[in-house]
Amino acid sequence: MESNSEIINADDETSSTLNDDSSKLYTNSAEFISSEENEDTRSELKFDPVLESEEEKSKRLEIEEALKDGDSALETWRRLALGKYGLVNDDLRRQVWPLLLNVDPDPSEKAPLLAELSQHSEYSQVVLDVNRSLKRFPPGIPYKQRVALQDQLTVLILRVIMKYPHLRYYQGYHDVAITFLLVVGETVAFRIMERLSTDHLRECMEPTMEKTSYTLTYIYPILQREDKDLYEFMDSATVGTMFALPWYLTWFGHSLNQYRDVVRLYDYFLASPPLMPLYVAASLVIDRRQDVFDVGCDMASIHCLLSQIPDNLDFESILQRASNLYKKYPPSKLEKDVKNRVQKELEQRRKDEQRIRRRLDKNRAAWVKMRHYLPNWLLLHYRNKYGLLFATATLLVGLYAYLRATETGFSLFKQGPWNI
Amino acid sequence: MSTTQIQQQELKKVVDTIPNRIKTFKIIVVGDSNVGKTSLTYRFCESKFIQTSEATIGVDFRERTLHIDDEDIKLQLWDTAGQERFRKSMVQHFYRNVHAVVIVYDVTNRASFDSLVYWLDECDRNCFTNVPRILVGNKCDEKLEINTNMAQRFADQHNMPLFETSARLDSECDNVEAIFLTLAHKLKNQKQLIPVDVVGQTQRLIRANPVNDNSSWNCCLRS
Ligand SMILES: Nc1nc2c(ncn2[C@@H]2O[C@H](COP(=O)(O)OP(=O)(O)O)[C@@H](O)[C@H]2O)c(=O)[nH]1
Ligand SMILES: [Mg+2]
Repeated sequence: MESNSEIINADDETSSTLNDDSSKLYTNSAEFISSEENEDTRSELKFDPVLESEEEKSKRLEIEEALKDGDSALETWRRLALGKYGLVNDDLRRQVWPLLLNVDPDPSEKAPLLAELSQHSEYSQVVLDVNRSLKRFPPGIPYKQRVALQDQLTVLILRVIMKYPHLRYYQGYHDVAITFLLVVGETVAFRIMERLSTDHLRECMEPTMEKTSYTLTYIYPILQREDKDLYEFMDSATVGTMFALPWYLTWFGHSLNQYRDVVRLYDYFLASPPLMPLYVAASLVIDRRQDVFDVGCDMASIHCLLSQIPDNLDFESILQRASNLYKKYPPSKLEKDVKNRVQKELEQRRKDEQRIRRRLDKNRAAWVKMRHYLPNWLLLHYRNKYGLLFATATLLVGLYAYLRATETGFSLFKQGPWNI
Repeated sequence: MSTTQIQQQELKKVVDTIPNRIKTFKIIVVGDSNVGKTSLTYRFCESKFIQTSEATIGVDFRERTLHIDDEDIKLQLWDTAGQERFRKSMVQHFYRNVHAVVIVYDVTNRASFDSLVYWLDECDRNCFTNVPRILVGNKCDEKLEINTNMAQRFADQHNMPLFETSARLDSECDNVEAIFLTLAHKLKNQKQLIPVDVVGQTQRLIRANPVNDNSSWNCCLRS
């Protein structure tokens, strides 16, 4: 087991347990409860314990059998991961995920220390995003443990981009990394992230999002072939593909509220070709077609509706449809349409740019010169002394002056009902 | 209740359920990563501080309907990702049909203030018309590195009004409210000839705010 206990408070017994076998994180959570914590937090550490159905049970037994067997082929793992209920639980995922990608944890490779990593140019952005990743942790996780995991997450991300300098961190990459960290622990998570970053996610890690933007376009030709009405509705509303950006970049990890849906989708994607998230995206949109029609033919409304994925969707059927879509319309058949679509957008963009340039050439109209309407005695550098009180005053004076100025067409002292 | 009243009420219900009938404005919120764009839009739309704010990927969207001068107005706030690489290839989508731009910096972070020129430039290069822009300095509850004078000078140079506020403090809630209300007023009255008692409106807004019950703004208003 690689050691980076320096990073995770070396003096803390709790975190060393965590470090030694992070793979047991959520199943044997009892191991985590440190002696100083009298409260039993076991139940809180779990995401959402769901009772196993009969079908899930038989799926689980099937996977356990395959694992015992020892020499199951990649095809077996793929079939199991894609099929209904995927890999069923995190214990099995921990064992099968590395097999799906054929990665081997190499304990000889040491993780750099946090101090080294902090020199990296992306360090601060990574830390900002990791610090804001609270939602992805199990509710009720003890503070110390969460902080230790967040440190591991930062290290995990930076390790990959330091090892592969041509890869760039993007906001959302941390959502992928955390999923693996939580399930397989940091050592294997590094191997998996390394593999995915140079394969499935490579495009997303280029210096610009040009290719990502291009790839997202696949959603439309799929819709066009499968659900013409829906396609036309969304196309005429000019919805675009932004709603699916976080889906694609994070394999839905950022957009799903329920942990079990996230890991189920990861089973599926780990066993699928890289463009599969777009087929799942199209399938998900088709699943919600009635909601889309109901919300009206308006870009903002549809974008808003789609970007919030409800908790009660039947992902098994969505994934099933996605697999069918992939068979019916493989990427090679869609490429031409994608190209045309992107080309059309590019032309539109050129026209837009010309329009904007013409505008910029003209003299820009002044919007408001607020300073003129502020009383001179209101010297704003007193603000420190009065603190927020004064900031409030500043704002309200600003608001007042601003309203008067703009609503009255700058005739500040004109009274009565004003025209613009 | 008279029949006409009932009819009116029912009529209103119908109008409310037809989104297209409500005047809607698209406002995009830009600024460096971590300055508090998500927190500000959340504060305005949900009236509370978002405790577990997440990194924004692409664009998040929130909206709120305001009642101004007997009219419903919908503000759509497009909360964008700050990371530069998102913007290079996707930014044009953000700016399409936008009515106003809110540019945010973090008063405790000089770099975020220095980036403002970048955001202004992006805005210039992507807007079809001269849309209203406002500048917001967030995190006023902490030790500031950018003093108001400096920010005000910058705002003046670029013809923007400046607001300083905090998305975190509950006591600043009305300020955040006021920022967007200002914008709503501006947008609502932009193209129309509507006689509005604006000052009355402003004062109502202020009076409804007990936190601001101190003499400084009172004398401002009288002056
Ligand atoms: N002290 C303070 N912190 C804030 C304030 N607004 C946001 N934050 C914090 O700043 C961080 C970034 O906020 P977020 O809204 O995600 O920024 P964004 O990247 O611009 O969307 C979060 O940790 C927030 O809790 C504020 O007014 N005061
Ligand atoms: Mg944000």
